[in-house]
Amino acid sequence: MGLGIAGLLTFPLAYVVYSALTGDLSQAGNLWNTRLPELLTNTFSLALGVSLTTLTLGVSTAWVITRYQFWGRGFWDWGFVLPLAIPSFVLAYVYTYLLDTAGPVEQAWQWLTYPEARIPSPYSFTGALVVMTLNTFPYVYLLARAAFQNFNLSFEEAAQATGATRWETFFRVSLPLIRPALVASMFLVVLYVVSDFGAVSLLRFQTFTFAIYQQITGRFDYQSAALLSLLLVLFALLFVFAERWFRNQSRFYQTSGRVRTATPKPCSLAQGLAINVVFVLILGAAFGLPVLLLVQWTVSAWIQGDVGVAFGTYIGNSVFLSAIAATAALALGTPLAYLASRFPSTLHVACLQGAYIGYVLPGPVAALALLMLFSTMIPILYGTVLVLIIAYLIHYLPAGLQAMESALQQVNPNLEEAARNLGAKGIRTFMQITFPLVRKGFSAAWLLLFLLCMKELPATLLLRPIGFDTLAVRIWLEASEELYQLAAPPALLIVILTIPAVFLLSKKNWQAGDASVQ
Amino acid sequence: MKLIIQIDRKLTIMPYLSILLSFMILCFGAINVQDLYAGESVVVYSGRAERLIKPVLDHFEKTTGTKVQLLTAGSTELVNRLRAEGTRTPADVFIANEAGALELARGLHLLQPITLPSVATTIPAPFRAPDNSWIGLSGRIWMIVYNTKLVDPSTIHSLLDLATPAWKGKLAIPSANSEYLQDGASIILAAKGEKAVEAFLQGIRDNAGNEVYGKNRQIVDAVAKGKVALGIVNHYYIFRHLANDPKAPIAPLITDQAEGGMGAIMNVAGIGLTAQTKHVSTAHQLIEFLMSPPGQEMFAHINKEYPVNAKVPSDPELPPSSSFRTSTIPLTRLAELREPIIQEIQRLGLR
Repeated sequence: MGLGIAGLLTFPLAYVVYSALTGDLSQAGNLWNTRLPELLTNTFSLALGVSLTTLTLGVSTAWVITRYQFWGRGFWDWGFVLPLAIPSFVLAYVYTYLLDTAGPVEQAWQWLTYPEARIPSPYSFTGALVVMTLNTFPYVYLLARAAFQNFNLSFEEAAQATGATRWETFFRVSLPLIRPALVASMFLVVLYVVSDFGAVSLLRFQTFTFAIYQQITGRFDYQSAALLSLLLVLFALLFVFAERWFRNQSRFYQTSGRVRTATPKPCSLAQGLAINVVFVLILGAAFGLPVLLLVQWTVSAWIQGDVGVAFGTYIGNSVFLSAIAATAALALGTPLAYLASRFPSTLHVACLQGAYIGYVLPGPVAALALLMLFSTMIPILYGTVLVLIIAYLIHYLPAGLQAMESALQQVNPNLEEAARNLGAKGIRTFMQITFPLVRKGFSAAWLLLFLLCMKELPATLLLRPIGFDTLAVRIWLEASEELYQLAAPPALLIVILTIPAVFLLSKKNWQAGDASVQ
Repeated sequence: MKLIIQIDRKLTIMPYLSILLSFMILCFGAINVQDLYAGESVVVYSGRAERLIKPVLDHFEKTTGTKVQLLTAGSTELVNRLRAEGTRTPADVFIANEAGALELARGLHLLQPITLPSVATTIPAPFRAPDNSWIGLSGRIWMIVYNTKLVDPSTIHSLLDLATPAWKGKLAIPSANSEYLQDGASIILAAKGEKAVEAFLQGIRDNAGNEVYGKNRQIVDAVAKGKVALGIVNHYYIFRHLANDPKAPIAPLITDQAEGGMGAIMNVAGIGLTAQTKHVSTAHQLIEFLMSPPGQEMFAHINKEYPVNAKVPSDPELPPSSSFRTSTIPLTRLAELREPIIQEIQRLGLR
């Protein structure tokens, strides 16, 4: 059964590889000469740039929040998770409006300086960097916060006792000690950046994922698209192995049984004020301002009568799809995660690892594979919701799997063995002993999957059945026509519908091991 | 005791039941969507912006009672989708914003001739496929939009003039993946040859520098604000801007009107009948409506385009179509020129 599920998830990738390598390979040389240098530079520099900026932003916010006591700390503690509720393409469309030629920001800048002053175009590396940073730094924040919270103060005290300054202590002791958390969050951020489609395409920044989508939509060139996908997946896999290797290399142990965590230091009034001002600016840029604009646009769209009954259908479609995909992911993921954590034979672990392939498979690639597969092999299902749900499963099951795996690992196998010794069969043990114990973890996994599916764009665009528009698709259609007001209501709805999920996720104390917060 | 065990047995099948249930819902969803294709309905794949096509289709739905199902995406993207779907496609008609995509679809045998007798009498021959697989519905002209305070229009006679160094830093152009830019350059390629189109693309690339815009509307905005002196756009963006702000210091310029010259570059938005449709008569009904004067008025005027049906007058704010000459290159050639021109645009590194 596990084999079947893993097969279902890896088959599309195999199909992409197959179609990339069969047929006319002269196209590959052409691609190498024309597109690749630019795509490689853009993708790598964006991933690197966003890594550095999110690291700075995420670690510093987490540090201040865990180490200092100031007015408003309780709010900021979970407030910095809010940007996760905004899909990257919504943030991108808000920023194209703000930073565009003669947009509000440029006008303000000209008013401040001189009338001919220009600001950098959002359709550039800078634009993509800003949007992706604001959108992904909460991952770093979440993991760094957890690491700082579980941090043993003795190491820092030892450093300071031997004469290290506070800066030295931070950079040479504190930071290296939370390295596993940093690596795990970088892993998330980089995979997010390279597989993002919505933001880079609205900002017209050519990365691999965007180029693949263009190959599928702008020309009839599936082979080039498949070749590009293959390359992207190879890079991503290399990255995944590097991360795993690193994780196995660095294990940190407590030297004594007693762990003392830091107590937040009280701040002076001025310090507290300064912290609040900086935090307002950060969260304002990543969440407050975009949401305010969305509300304003929604109101004016409402007044003009552009918000019709059709929205009920879009909400229904989005919720229907996401709920079914999340449920199916749990149903399919449970045997994989269960077998691999309880009976870790090579086969079972391989099945689990196989399912993780979807992690590195960006939306357009998974969609491409399914498009080719279903239209040629199982045409009867093509153009149905089923294909879309399979695409979601392939892409997002890994995120759910990680949450499920860590929930299962926290259940002591002795309990299950006891049940079995008393004569209960495998399934019954699972239902009566294991499931009640992991219910919380599984609910979190379900929420996470639901949230991810709500925000999914490229696969939905390519595979949606006729007349089956979701909220994300509506945002995309209106935003790419620059109809900001019409794109705002569905965008605001997505944000509102995902905030509860994001809030619950922020309450969990994430560990570097379960890098599933994507 | 027995009873309890039985209840437990039932519990053990829960995971199976839940999996089964979710698949049942899935299949229900799948069937449900398939079902929608049946009945008095027509499925429209449209590459035209939804706000431009939806009101027209809604009107058709209301007056005829035929249900219209709309799928909006990019024109070329829909050609790909039609091809991938092959014989299974649910689409009955394909509306595209440019003739290139329609002709591409015809070349791939995705369309079939529209056998309505009114086609020949309403749509002039240059604006439809030779076998009537697709027909144009509305025309758009490439015009230069210039800032009246910054440009003396008498210095520009041809689009190719924009490539001269005189306009360095003063020109705004559409981005490289715009289908309009591709089609416009294709027509220059067909009319003037490879050397000319290379010089043109290179020239506008250098002159525009960073002034490359994803939307024609932004180009008109930039010209109106004096950020650039002029730009190349589809005509309706200029007139839409003037309708909103009649005092804006911009004006349209139609180029290449000299005797023996290329003529203004024109493209059409149009509709094709899919080869696989099972609803020929309802599809015909829709096409007939779109060709008729009320349909033409709605389709073209909503966007200030030129109606293709000569009996329907164009929007009074537009220069009359009889007042200028358009390129004589058949629109059907756009399909074969598409790939070479994309290669050329990429090779020259337009953004």
